[in-house]
Order: sequence, then C-alpha cells, then structure tokens
Amino acid sequence: MEFGAKKETVAPLEQLPRPEPKRRPKSSKLRKAKWKQKDLEELKKEVVMDDHKLTLEELSAKYAVDLTKGHSPRKAEELLIRDGPNILTPPPTTPKWVKFCKQLFGGFSLLLWTGAILCFVAFGIQSYFYDDFTKDNLYLGFVLSIVVVITGCFSYYQEAKSAKIMESFKNMVPQQALVIRSGERIQINVQNVVLGDLVEVRGGDRIPADLRIISAQGCKVDNSSLTGESEPQFRSPDFSHENPLESRNICFFSTNCVEGTARGVVIATGDSTVMGRIASLTSGLKVGRTPIAVEIEHFIHLITMVAVFLGIIFFGLSFALGYGWLEAVIFLIGIIVANVPEGLLATVTVCLTLTAKRMAWKNCLVKNLEAVETLGSTSAICSDKTGTLTQNRMTVAHLWFDKTVHEVDTSEDQTGKTFAKDSDTWLILAHIAGLCNRADFKAHQETLPIAKRITTGDASESALLKFVEQSYSSVAEMRERSPKVAEIPFNSTNKYQVSIHLLENSAQPYVLMMKGAPERILEFCSTFLLNGQEHPMDDEMKEAFQNAYLKLGGLGERVLGFCFLNLPSSFNKGFPFNTDEINFPMDSLCFVGLISMIDPPRAAVPDAVNKCRSAGIKVIMVTGDHPITAKAIAKGVGIISEGIEPAEDIAAQLKNPVSTVNTRAAKAIVVHGSELKNINSQQLDQILQNHTEIVFARTSPQQKLLIVEGCQRLGAIVAVTGDGVNDSPALKKADIGIAMGITGSDVSKQAADMILLDDNFASIVTGVEEGRLIFDNLKKSIAYTLTSNIPEITPFLMFIILGIPLPLGTITILCIDLGTDMIPAISLAYESPESDIMKRLPRNPKMDKLVNNRLIGIAYGQIGMIQAVAGFFTYFVILAENGFRPVDLLGIRLKWDNRFVNDLEDSYGQQWTYEQRKVVEFTCHTAFFVSIVLVQWADLISCKTRRNSVFQQGMKNKVLIFGIVEETLLAAFLSYTPGMDRALRTYPLKIAWWFCVTPYSILIFVYDEIRKLIIRQRPGGWLERETYY
Amino acid sequence: MVIQKEKKSCGQVVEEWKEFVWNPRTHQFMGRTGTSWAFILLFYLVFYGFLTAMFSLTMWVMLQTVSDHTPKYQDRLATPGLMIRPKTENLDVIVNVSDTESWDQHVQKLNKFLEPYNDSIQAQKNDVCRPGRYYEQPDNGVLNYPKRACQFNRTQLGNCSGIGDPTHYGYSTGQPCVFIKMNRVINFYAGANQSMNVTCAGKRPQHHRNKGKPTPEDGRDEDAENLGNFVMFPANGNIDLMYFPYYGKKFHVNYTQPLVAVKFLNVTPNVEVNVECRINAANIATDDERDKFAGRVAFKLRINKT
Repeated sequence: MEFGAKKETVAPLEQLPRPEPKRRPKSSKLRKAKWKQKDLEELKKEVVMDDHKLTLEELSAKYAVDLTKGHSPRKAEELLIRDGPNILTPPPTTPKWVKFCKQLFGGFSLLLWTGAILCFVAFGIQSYFYDDFTKDNLYLGFVLSIVVVITGCFSYYQEAKSAKIMESFKNMVPQQALVIRSGERIQINVQNVVLGDLVEVRGGDRIPADLRIISAQGCKVDNSSLTGESEPQFRSPDFSHENPLESRNICFFSTNCVEGTARGVVIATGDSTVMGRIASLTSGLKVGRTPIAVEIEHFIHLITMVAVFLGIIFFGLSFALGYGWLEAVIFLIGIIVANVPEGLLATVTVCLTLTAKRMAWKNCLVKNLEAVETLGSTSAICSDKTGTLTQNRMTVAHLWFDKTVHEVDTSEDQTGKTFAKDSDTWLILAHIAGLCNRADFKAHQETLPIAKRITTGDASESALLKFVEQSYSSVAEMRERSPKVAEIPFNSTNKYQVSIHLLENSAQPYVLMMKGAPERILEFCSTFLLNGQEHPMDDEMKEAFQNAYLKLGGLGERVLGFCFLNLPSSFNKGFPFNTDEINFPMDSLCFVGLISMIDPPRAAVPDAVNKCRSAGIKVIMVTGDHPITAKAIAKGVGIISEGIEPAEDIAAQLKNPVSTVNTRAAKAIVVHGSELKNINSQQLDQILQNHTEIVFARTSPQQKLLIVEGCQRLGAIVAVTGDGVNDSPALKKADIGIAMGITGSDVSKQAADMILLDDNFASIVTGVEEGRLIFDNLKKSIAYTLTSNIPEITPFLMFIILGIPLPLGTITILCIDLGTDMIPAISLAYESPESDIMKRLPRNPKMDKLVNNRLIGIAYGQIGMIQAVAGFFTYFVILAENGFRPVDLLGIRLKWDNRFVNDLEDSYGQQWTYEQRKVVEFTCHTAFFVSIVLVQWADLISCKTRRNSVFQQGMKNKVLIFGIVEETLLAAFLSYTPGMDRALRTYPLKIAWWFCVTPYSILIFVYDEIRKLIIRQRPGGWLERETYY
Repeated sequence: MVIQKEKKSCGQVVEEWKEFVWNPRTHQFMGRTGTSWAFILLFYLVFYGFLTAMFSLTMWVMLQTVSDHTPKYQDRLATPGLMIRPKTENLDVIVNVSDTESWDQHVQKLNKFLEPYNDSIQAQKNDVCRPGRYYEQPDNGVLNYPKRACQFNRTQLGNCSGIGDPTHYGYSTGQPCVFIKMNRVINFYAGANQSMNVTCAGKRPQHHRNKGKPTPEDGRDEDAENLGNFVMFPANGNIDLMYFPYYGKKFHVNYTQPLVAVKFLNVTPNVEVNVECRINAANIATDDERDKFAGRVAFKLRINKT
C-alpha cells in the first residue's frame, strides 16, 4: 500500500465516527484484508470516543453491565470468544526464511546473481556449441553464487544476533487484573479481560484495558508512555475534557496506576484500545529504504552502465575483428561479468558490521545493518522529551525562601553546586518537605545512591523525599522523631496536603504542616518566615511571592508552597485530631517557601545537542508535554539557544498574533498540538523550513508522524528518538528510529532501528560520528576495490582486440577480488577521519553520493589504468624473457590456444608444445595477479585519504598495515606453494618479476599525492570538481 | 525514505534522456558543456599520453635487457615436444583411398614442407657434417657469429621422400607416410651424446583409455593389432646428434630440422587407429602426465577403403 499517496486525505481535523467496536470478521479473509487497509487510514486520525461523556447509567446500558456486580462469568466468556483476548496483536513478524531471502536477494546481491546467471548462460552456450570449452564460466557462476549465499548468511546471522538481544527485552511475566464478576472480585490474566468488565486498579498496577472510571480514591496514573507527560495525572469519575486523552475519567491500557485506587468499566480491549491503535498504526506503516540502500542502488546503476557500455562496444568491436556471433556473445557476457566487483558485497557488509559492533560497544544497538550509516546522513533529529532528553524523574530544581531563589543541582550524579543551607528557614522548609510527605523509600536499598532508589508514591513527593534525604538528613529519622498523628491527603479540589506531627520536648507539642498549590497556601498564611524570624504578611512579600511563583512556573517547573503552624499548647499530647470534621485551626499559618520541581534534562544532553548543531543537524523537540515545560527543557538543553526568543514570546511582547511575527526575526518557535491540528501540510513545511529551533508540544502520536513526514518531504533524513508507545509510529516512519533501551516500551523498541542501551541521548552523537565515518570510509573502500577492476578487465579486452595470449585468467581475478583485496578494503573501515567530521554539514543525499562519477573516474580512468599498464608490463616482460617478444604476440591467440598446435614458434625459432606455453601463460596470470597486488599497495595508501596527504594522515591504521602484509603473503603463498600449479594453476615467479611494477607503484603514489596537493591548494578548483570523490 | 520511486511514464524517461544527451538550456552535451568536455578530454589526453610514454619507456628498457641470441629463461622447454606432418586440425590423418581430394591437401602440404629438404638446396646451403657427434660452433670471441647448419637430404627419407613417387607418399595406396619432427630448443643437446631414435606404436593415449571401446580383457591391444607393420626412414627412426645444438633462428638461419618418416604398410582399413610415437633419448623424459606432447606425439590414423 502506497503510503505517501494517501497523506493528503488525512486532514487531522476530520473526525470520523468511531470505528465499530471490534468485531473482526474472522470468516472472510478478503474482508479482513479490506479492514486492514481501511484501518490504517483511520488509525492515522485522532482518537475518537465518547465513553467519557456518558453518564454512569448510559455506560451501564451501553456495555450491558451491572456497575456493582460486573459481568456474569458466562457472559464474560461469550464476550471473550466474540472479541478475542485482550492482547495487542504482535506486529506481523516476517518469517525467518523471508528475512533470509531478503538478505540473499536484496540490493547488492542482485548484481552478483545477475552476474552468476550470465555466467551460466555463457557456459550453456559454450557447452552447446563447442566441443572444446573451458569451464571457467561455470566455476565463476558458482563462485558468485557462493559469495552471495555466504555474505547473505553472514548478514542474516548478524541481524539475528541483534534480534536476540531484542527478544530479551520482552517482558514475559503475565500480568494479572482484578475484575468483579457476579459481584465477586477475582484475579484473572489480563488477556481474559473483556469489554464491560468491572476492573479495580491500585497503585503500582498496570491498567489492564481502556477504562472509564466510575469511582476513584486519590488515583493517579502515569500516562508518560502514551502522552509524554512526565507528571502523574489525577483520575476521577468526572468528565473533564472533550478530548478523551485529556479527560480525567479515562485510564489507558498499559499505562501505570501510580497511587490510589480506582474502579472502572472496560471500554476497549486489545487492539482497539488507544495504545493498541497506535501499535497497529506503527506496524501498518510502510518503511522506506535506508539511505545506504539508495546509495548502493545508485552504485549498481553506475556499474551496470559501465559494464553494459563496455560490453556493447566490444561486442561491436569483436564483430569488426571478424569473430563469430557466438564468440561475440561470449565476450559480451564475459566483459559484463568481469565488471562485477565480486568482493565488494562482502566488504561492504563486513565494514557495516564492524561499525555496528563499534556502536554496540558504545551502547548503540543497531537492529538493521544498513541503519548503521543512516545516522551519519541524518539532517534532522526529532526528539521526544520525556525520558530521552530528560531523566523522566521529578527532581527538585529550585527553592524560594528568604525572598531568594536558590538553585538546586539536578544532575544525575549530584556533582553541581549547592546552596546556602545555613538559614533557619531552610531547616523548617526541609522539615515540612520531609514530614508532610507520603512517599517513602522501598526497603533494602541503603547501598544505592539516593537518586537511584525506588520510592513509593507520587513523583513530586518522591522528589521532595530524595531532595531532603540528600541535602538535609535522613527522612526516616526525622519521621521517627516527629511522628505523624493526623493527615489530610492531597486532593484535586483542596490542592493542599496537611499533616500534624508530634514535636519532642516542646511547649507546643504539635505542629501542623501544609504543602500545596502556592496560591492556595498563601491564602492560609498571615505571616512569613525570613531568616528564621516570623514577619507579618505584607504586600511587598505578596509581590515577591507572585514574582517567584511566576518565575518558577515560567521555567516549566511544578511549584509547591510550604507553610506551618505551631499549634497552641492547648492541644496537649494525645489530642484526638479529627481530619473529617476539622477540630484544629487551619488559618494564620506561617509561610515558609516554595519548592519547584522539574523532570530535569540529562546532563549529557546539552552538549550532545550542541554537537548535533555544529554538525549541521537540526534538533526538533516533539513532545506530548505542555508547551511551558517543553520550552523550559528546550532552553535547558539548548534546543532553543540562549538569548533567542520563540516566535510566540515575541508575539506576546508585541501583543500581536503569532502569525504576524516575521519569521526571519524569530528563529525559534513553539508549536502547540492544537495549532498543528488546524494547519495543512504546506503550512507545516513552512514552519519546518523557516525556523531553525522548533519545539512541538502537546502532540499526539499521529501528529508526531505528520511532523516526521513533513521533514522527509523537505528532503531531510530524519532520526526520531523516543521511548513511549506514542513515539512508535514516528520511530517506524523515520529514516532511523532510535528507542531507549532501559525506559523504552516494547512497542517503541520493536519499531526502532536502533536502541540506545544506556538511554543516553549523547550516544546519538557517537552514532552520527560513526555513521559519517563509515560513509567516508566506504567511499575509500569502494574506490580501492573498484580500481582493480580495470586491470582485471583490460587483459580480456586486449585478448580480444590484439589477439595476445590471455594475460589474466578468471581464477586469478577471483584470487584478487575474493582474496588479496578483501582485508585491505576492509581495513579502510578502520581509517580515522581526515578532518572533524562533526563540524561539517550532513551530506546532501541528492548531491553527495556514495559512488559518483568522479570516484569512477579516479578508480577506472586514472589509477586503474596505471595498474593495468603495470600489469601488462610485467606480462610482456615474462613472455619476452621466455622467448616471445611483444610484437610476435600480436594475433597469436588462435594458434596459442589451439591444443593441437604443439610446435608454436617463438621469436627465437624455438618451438613450444601447448602445455609448455600454457605454463608460461599461467605464469603470466600469476605475475599479473602479483603485479595488481603490488600496485594495490600504492592504491591502498592513496585511498587512505581523499584530501589530506598520507604524510598528514600517518600510517596509524594497524589493520591496514596488516592488510598490506597479508595480501603480499597471500600472493606469495598462491605463487610458491607446491601443488598450486595443479590446484589454481598459479606458478612460482622469478624474484625479479615482483619488481617490474615498482615504477608504476611509485607513479600511482606520486600522482595521487600531487592530485590531493592541488585539491588542497585550490579548493573548489577544476581538479577538485572533477576528481574529488 | 523520502526518495520514493515514482513511476515515470515512458515519455518522461525519453525526455530525461534527451535532456541528458543535449540540454539546450545549459548547452550541455551528456551533462557537460563544451569547455567542460574540452578540459576533461585534455586532462585525459595528457594523462594517457604520459602513461603511454612511461609504458613505452619501461618496455624499451626491458627490451634492451633481452638478448637477441638466447631467451633469458628456457626452463619451460626442458623437454622438447614432438609433432607430426601432415598437420591436420585435430591431429588425425584420415585417408579415403578412393577420394583423391581427401588426401590431396595432405600431399600438397607435405610437398611444401619437404621442399627445403631437397638435396640440391641442402647441398647449396648447408654443410656435410660428421654424423654421431654434436655440431658445436662456439662464438670464439666473435659475438653472435652466424652459424652453419648440417644437411638433411630429402633422399634420406627413402620411400617417404616423395621424389618421383606416383603413390603420393603412399596416400593413394593407403600406405601413408607420416613425418615426425622434434621441436627446436636453443642450445639443447638432445640425446646427451648418445644416439637416439623415434619409435611408434599403436596405443591409446592415457586419457582416451577406458573410453569408447573397452580394452580387451586379455590385455591384447586392439590399436597395436590394427596398426600393422610400418617402416621408418632413416632406418630405426634414428636422429643424428649432428643436428644439435640449435642456435636460434637469427644466427642459425638455414637450420634444417631432422625428420623421421613412418610409412604405415597395412593399417586395418575403416578403423580409427591411435598411434603414439616417442623419442628415445637419454635426456628427454617422455612421461610428463600433463604435457602429452613432451617427447612424444599421439595421433589418429584412419584409412578408409571401400
């Protein structure tokens, strides 16, 4: 199904009626397929449901369920049979053999298969028409097939390994749900939950299905995996928002209940849940090809063009020279096949694998080998906020007391600065934060650093707990000394929390402590604390409070106010406090201060964002969280750089609508999801184009997808990072999706191409660096490998045109391509970068190709030609020294290859049998082969750099030196090992023949150094334009 | 990926190609303007010019080191090969006695081949040498002094000399002559100072054995029986030492290669007979497994009589 074509039809505004409660037609496959097609389009639209608007009676009627007793077991079973189990359909896993076939027949392999088939065709022709034929073509065909199969197995094995690591992420523990059926509460497996079931959830539970809450006590859910909001949300039976995602009375499948209890009716199960829809949207998306796949296709086009061009020219030429059509066809095939770089597929695969390994070592697990390079081409990163840029952990960021804002260190390892702790106000503030707090550490974690300990309770209370524990003293001791005697828990109407504690050795034995929304707290207060002294509340103080509150709120932080009251001594020990009918004073409290919390950015992120910037990569924040928080974090991590005002801030200052702000003036913009709903794709493109620093807030998963598509429409190669289910469609659609290994949800990991095992955004920078490096090094590797193609083809061409004995045979060609050239080519993957690759712009996928005609020109037209000449020189030397002078060789081919001519005369009048001269010919093949190895030395050293001199780059690449030694030893081995004359028909060479090519090796080296010197000295000059690849 | 494959119509493709070949807007031919082509062609002209010059130079240097007299290496020619005349395409001598044309070409070839052996020419050009010893001609200080050759007279071939032979080397009577010669190798002292001769036998070459007709169980060789009798000229198929060593075509201009003629007297007609002739000489191995022509020669003989 063509994805791009249907984009236009999906206007986000369009609200379609809710898809039928799922009754999948199981009978007809056809209808199922249709359902699938239609479904994907519907999935791309916003979630539509009305259950949150219904009254309880309507709800009861709709799902035919008693809201106290629940379904009867029999009805539940019927429903289970009708709707299927409450599980997400796993994404259609490609069968292993299909994956294997993809490896076997994808991309590069296709070229080799074509070559192999051509070989078999040529062999067929030969064996049909000639009695006397060589089996070279047959062997070559087999070798090509074997190379493809082996390389295919290798990359399949590599990817299977990553897949295995993926499997280990899967949570295999079956989840339980507490349902009420026929009035009885029973524990059942989550998959048996059915529509209309009455479900109870408690703090710590995973929500078993989409629920409409019918009753709740202090229930809070963590929706971050669905919406990206880092703060837990209250849940209550009241309908509070048109949008079901924001309404308080709906809980979503697979989110977590943080605290409290709730009872709800199941309104959707399995794939029809909000989460399920996102998951199936993800698995339904079509993914495009990776940039490297595109590059390889372009390369194949180039190679094929060259091959066919040469083939046809020599096809015509062989006719002109008087060869028969059959021979001409054999020649044609031979030339085309000779152009296939047999070893390159393996080289590229190994190079990518090496980089993948290196990345895995740096905590980037790559699922798909080709994705290794994608990060290097990336020009835009759409990053989720929560858990990716931030720690996904509420942390105290600022304090306000004594009319001063104090900053708190929020880094993960607590290495930052500290604040003035000598004020008495701070002591009291710390006490209130520690005592008026329901969170607690879970047991047996004393050895862990405080920040890493697991707590029970609300995220902000946990943050306060950890904060006090860290910067003041043990909260447990504090609580022991001042035990809690009464408590009014926080609720959304009060917006405060009160607790009363017993004080030791005090005239006034009880103290009342309160925390809550700052404006509510201030209402209770008549005095305030300044440096430990109580002062009556005045306007100045109120203004200072307002300013502080606004300032902290503007930082996107969640602000809590703290106050206390020493209860009069009339409340003596043992006073029965009643929190329902309040029997203690709750006014004229003393205001202490404010504490604000935020989910702080990870320490490494600002630096990483900065590096991405300087590498020319646009970092866009796409989050489900509120704009203020998003903006604050964006500023904190540098996505909106310092001193730059987003468009709407400018607009606010000018009191104009945002649309009137000159886009040139505003580099940055914060776009709200609701605005995004109302704009079309052109407008989205405008936003993406005109602003360099963009934050999208309150976005739905579908909108994230649209943003990614928008970037891609503008020609960017997009990386998406995310951890939640809400990110997964975008992860899948992105050119490279990057999921978080620790906090990431399974769905997001499934959809991603790459997984950051340490959840560290900074690893992406490593990935970009490695990706760019491998792209550069692949160029070098390919340039190196392609060069030897010319000395491999020209012998055959000369054999046809000049009628000389064949200078280089098929076996020796394979020895080069699959033997001596392999390790040197791979060693180029270890080459260090020539310049700071993180300081240049991402490559332009349209202009900067992996293999361009300049590379072909250098490899084929220049270095390759020198190599060919070098090889021919050696060949003529050997023949001349054996009695055949070059002139006498012209046109000798027919007699030379006739096995019945056993008295062929050489230039000295000596006569040769067929076998004798064939031994000389094969010696020539060996020598030609050795010559190529030796000129490839020079080529390898030249290919180390594209611009710099080798003397600047140095010879630090040990693998490359090993490669040179290895190829030379291998060549010597093939030549001198006894028995090789039978096995591969390679013969020992006289020592002097090894040195014939020396002048040419020097020529290659000198030529390329001069070329690079001129390129360096004349940037943008003719030579650079024509020969810099 | 963004780069989505749009289906291009055929016309578009043609249009794109046209524009590639000649772009009237930018005046580009095959993606380059005239000056661009000129520059790149000039570059390659200079580049290849230089490369050609360098190749020529290295070749010239190499040819200077190669002697006119003897090749640098002769290690591949340790064992001279044997060859027959008339030479036919697949080394099979087929004679249809009644069909003159079938053997006439052999006769023509042989006439031409034996012409230099005519006694008159030999007498005119070559020396009469002492048989039984090598005809060594040291340079004696004069570099590459031209060498003399020994006479091999056509008459030495007796019934196979074809002189005044109405049977055309026996081809018209079904008793054909086949001439055997040994490959020339410079400075090769064949026979290591001992006499040598050529012998022939009906024998399937190794690689043809057990193929086609099964070898009879009693070890009787069918080919040997079918071959029948033959006579050799010079007698016993001797090759005299005086024809060695050979000094190369440049300085040993009139060198006459010694021959051995074999006249097959009663070959079983209408049967293909495998014949192998080998030289018996002290320093010539004839058992090279790979080279079937090292010191020996195998051919097929078939006389068709109606």
